[in-house]
Amino acid sequence: MGALSNPFDPDQTLWGGCSCGQHASQAEHDAAHRLTGAAPAPDERERLAEGRVAESAASDRAAQPADTDPDVAWTDREAVLARTVESAVLRGVFGGDASRRGFLRAVGSATALAAISQFIPLDKLKAAIVEAKGPLEKTELNIGFVPITCATPIIMASPLGFYERYGLDVEVIKTAGWAVSRDKSLAEEYDAAHMLTPMPLAITLGAGSVATPWTMPAVENINGQAITLAMKHLDRQDPSQWKGFVFGVPFEYSMHNFLLRYYVAEAGLDPDQDIQIRVVPPPEMVANLSAGNLDGYLSPDPFNQRAVYDGVGFIYKLTKEIWEGHPCCAFAASRKFIDETPNTFLALYKAILDATAYSQVHENRKEIAEAIAPRNYLNQPVTVVEQVLTGRFADGLGNVRNEPDRIDFDPFPYHSFAVWILTQMKRWGYVEGDLDYAAIAEQVYLATDAAAVMQEMGMSPPETTYKSHTIMGKTFDPAEPEAYLQSFAISRV
Amino acid sequence: MTAPLAKTPKRGEPIGDLMSPAPDTRKKIIQVEGLERRFATPDGKSNTQVFGDVWFSIHEGEFVCLIGHSGCGKTTLLNILAGLDAPTAGGVIVDGKEISGPSLDRSVVFQSHALMPWLSAIKNIAFAVESRWPQWSRKQVLDHCQKYIDLVHLTGSESKKPVQLSGGMKQRVGIARAFSIEPKILLMDEPFSALDALTRGSLQEELLSICAETHQTCFMITHDIDEAILLADKIVLMTNGPEARVCEIVENTLPRERTRQDAYTHPNYYPMRNHLMEFLVSRSKRFSQELSSGSYDPRYPPVVRPTAGPRDAGASKAGEPQPAQDGAKYGDPLR
Amino acid sequence: MQPRMSVKAGMLSLVLLTLFLAAWHLLVLAQQGPAVEMDPEYAALMGKQATEGASALPKPAEVGAELWRHVTDPFYDAGPNDKGIGIQLAYSLFRVLTGFLLAACVAIPIGFLIGMSPIFRKALDPFIQIMKPVSPLAWMPLALYTIKDSNLSAIFVIFICSVWPMLINTAFGVASVRKEWLNVARTLEVGALRTAFRVVLPAAAPTILTGMRISIGIAWLVIVAAEMLVGGTGIGYFVWNEWNNLSITGVISGIVFIGLVGMLLDMALARASKLVAYAE
Repeated sequence: MGALSNPFDPDQTLWGGCSCGQHASQAEHDAAHRLTGAAPAPDERERLAEGRVAESAASDRAAQPADTDPDVAWTDREAVLARTVESAVLRGVFGGDASRRGFLRAVGSATALAAISQFIPLDKLKAAIVEAKGPLEKTELNIGFVPITCATPIIMASPLGFYERYGLDVEVIKTAGWAVSRDKSLAEEYDAAHMLTPMPLAITLGAGSVATPWTMPAVENINGQAITLAMKHLDRQDPSQWKGFVFGVPFEYSMHNFLLRYYVAEAGLDPDQDIQIRVVPPPEMVANLSAGNLDGYLSPDPFNQRAVYDGVGFIYKLTKEIWEGHPCCAFAASRKFIDETPNTFLALYKAILDATAYSQVHENRKEIAEAIAPRNYLNQPVTVVEQVLTGRFADGLGNVRNEPDRIDFDPFPYHSFAVWILTQMKRWGYVEGDLDYAAIAEQVYLATDAAAVMQEMGMSPPETTYKSHTIMGKTFDPAEPEAYLQSFAISRV
Repeated sequence: MTAPLAKTPKRGEPIGDLMSPAPDTRKKIIQVEGLERRFATPDGKSNTQVFGDVWFSIHEGEFVCLIGHSGCGKTTLLNILAGLDAPTAGGVIVDGKEISGPSLDRSVVFQSHALMPWLSAIKNIAFAVESRWPQWSRKQVLDHCQKYIDLVHLTGSESKKPVQLSGGMKQRVGIARAFSIEPKILLMDEPFSALDALTRGSLQEELLSICAETHQTCFMITHDIDEAILLADKIVLMTNGPEARVCEIVENTLPRERTRQDAYTHPNYYPMRNHLMEFLVSRSKRFSQELSSGSYDPRYPPVVRPTAGPRDAGASKAGEPQPAQDGAKYGDPLR
Repeated sequence: MQPRMSVKAGMLSLVLLTLFLAAWHLLVLAQQGPAVEMDPEYAALMGKQATEGASALPKPAEVGAELWRHVTDPFYDAGPNDKGIGIQLAYSLFRVLTGFLLAACVAIPIGFLIGMSPIFRKALDPFIQIMKPVSPLAWMPLALYTIKDSNLSAIFVIFICSVWPMLINTAFGVASVRKEWLNVARTLEVGALRTAFRVVLPAAAPTILTGMRISIGIAWLVIVAAEMLVGGTGIGYFVWNEWNNLSITGVISGIVFIGLVGMLLDMALARASKLVAYAE
């Protein structure tokens, strides 16, 4: 294989691993199959891709032969970059060499490119990266953040100099909440902002605001939230005893809301009938918990740890125990920002990806905690932030727990995350009518771009933009969102 | 009806010369012609005439008082003369031209002095002087103001605000302001009615002396008989409203050089006073009977000159030709 | 007599303050719970409230120290989200004064128009009556959406909430200028503009200033709330930031500064009213 070989040539191998994507190398793959004697299982992504291609082929768009010319001079940097992008996209679409090859042989590479261009703006993507080699359109940026540990990469990129490294002069601006973050982003006061992963979808769909094309180039963090209960509920740790509880969540379009709803619904409680869910700004959650106005909340840290620190609550459940590796917060920007200042965007994107990678490393967490705890950023006691980031924390019940991945950082914006969020938005009535899950997911979550850029930066992006997830033991298949939606007993659909 | 030529004594003419008064050749500054004012009734459906068919005139240098009970529209009449109000019918001619609004020709001394409380005494006057002569320099204005401050004996209180001045001093500023623009005619609406008797007396005297000095034409509304006798050359009597009329015009038979101290010693003082008193007490109410008795012509209201003559003056009846020695004659023809 | 009385009043104020601070201190002491027995490893991860049973409310001395820290270093700038109290107050004052002056520029001429013309009064009355009771913060989302700039939105909110008291007071002041003063001007053939500036304005000035004083009070109330909402800079943001840290000490010092500046603003306008006041 080679990252620079023509990805539309069916005889090329794009994956560093094997053709099915499950082994470290083709040799290992072959060995495995020799052992079992079984053919590689058909990739479920293949079905998905074929369905979409059939759709787009109907529109009969002209092919662009120049882009498929196999005789590109490798000395031409732009051509090399264009190739890199195409490879990344195809990898993103097909997930494995086997399916890609089969598809390309069947339809021909020109048709394939035309078809894929239908739903992924390949031209734009290539243009962005090629032009990104030019000068930055602007260097002074304003980025909004809500002061919680989820924002760690966005925040720590500032004191630890990640933005400067990419020639950017970024002001990270503390924001009072997500509604304000959204409104200031819509008002273009922020060039990019820390949001919640459902928000770019909601903004694009026009749920809760005017519909504006928004994107999520990267996930800020995974895991890292918790359900905190007031001390008085020490003996009511079974969700079936929660009837009548008042819970706080930070925003309607949040993973917090959807995870809490999912969790209580799994325990047989209707989140709209049996409990009350209120939108409460995170800092007020602790005060409301101690005043007895809230029985508990599913909130971002450090406010779970802060409740423990102040002795008003205990950590009942980390969200990673509900869905290991769930996305939480987002690095989000408008489509307009990407289109108008592609070089700046790319530089910023790289800074964020770098910062996220840095945050991922456990050894760095203590240093990060000290960097982001001061007044200018989170404005919290260092111990509180440190307990969240290192995963060695007091749970409020007298135990010191050690959960290194209590919060983790993985920037890759899987399309399947978006599809899951959309199913939950529909499940609880935040959006109505038929949703083209994949189309929206791919428009908003820039997984293919992420893969391309990560690849260019020498990181190892996942090979697929869709994967199935397991939430409280129940499997979510992103190819069948409607069936998944119908499978819930408690639902507004 | 034949009206004998009207003759009024010239200023300073001895009062003994009543038998053959010389014709008044002075210029008429104000001619009030057929003035009527109606106000809508509170329900807005109809209207009431406050006064109507009012005719009289004021000569240059003359001091005319108008006496009547409250409600006869005295202030309304003055406002119309000032141009602050418009008549329902009729008109006012000042110096040969019909008026259409307020003018610097006619300045007003208001009953409540109407000083601007945020301005000092001299600034209040300066506001008027600057309006009259906008091209003047600041010094010219202040010098001019000072002259009038001195005239009303307020020297030393120039920079006091109205609130620091007594009622009499305030009205002095009001008078100085009115005089300062050197109007053709000064209109005064009961200027002393709000003052105590002592202050009123001294202000009346000052006004008298200023008028003697400046030959200012004045029209003043009052309900004080002594004030009218002291100040006026001619007193216009108005009957009670509504539908008030000019009942008659009384010429002052006291010498012009009268003072408050000696006026009442003059033989004509009581005839004047009694005549006016009788009017206010009784005639003003039953004037409508006199009207219907026939010969009253509103254009030429009877002119009466009450004196201590053989027959007590003041008993003359409107429209009834009286021998000259009775002190009664028909009013000045207006044109 | 006069100075002696103010000395006495000052002493009384001091006594009241001392009593208040003492009561506060005792209250905090009373809330102090017993220290909790804890595994030292666990206790290291906990706050004083949990380990020592400390009250959430700070002692007056702690607030005093915090105030002293702000007063002695009011203009530090440690990044976009951490600036000295002096800088924050300057941001808030700038917004308040801009919005307030804009409002005055609009409210006073329109107030004149309404005060002088009954037709305008009748025509504009329904709008004023509807707009006046709207909570200033209800304008915030609308402003953010239409103006698309949070700083301008904050200024707009100040503008819209300070415009009404000034407008209504100006209209009232102008309408109740004594007729005789206007008549004086009329008999002196003074033009409309000169009458407006030389007679109506000084006559209505005390009423207008009263309106302005009400307005600046409202504006100062609103800016704190608006900045808490919009954030970024200003004393409202300062309070929000302290609240975000659940730092009651910080919140109380914010309150003290807000109160002090509000008092200074009111005093400034009270002095201005004295300049234009007149006695009749």
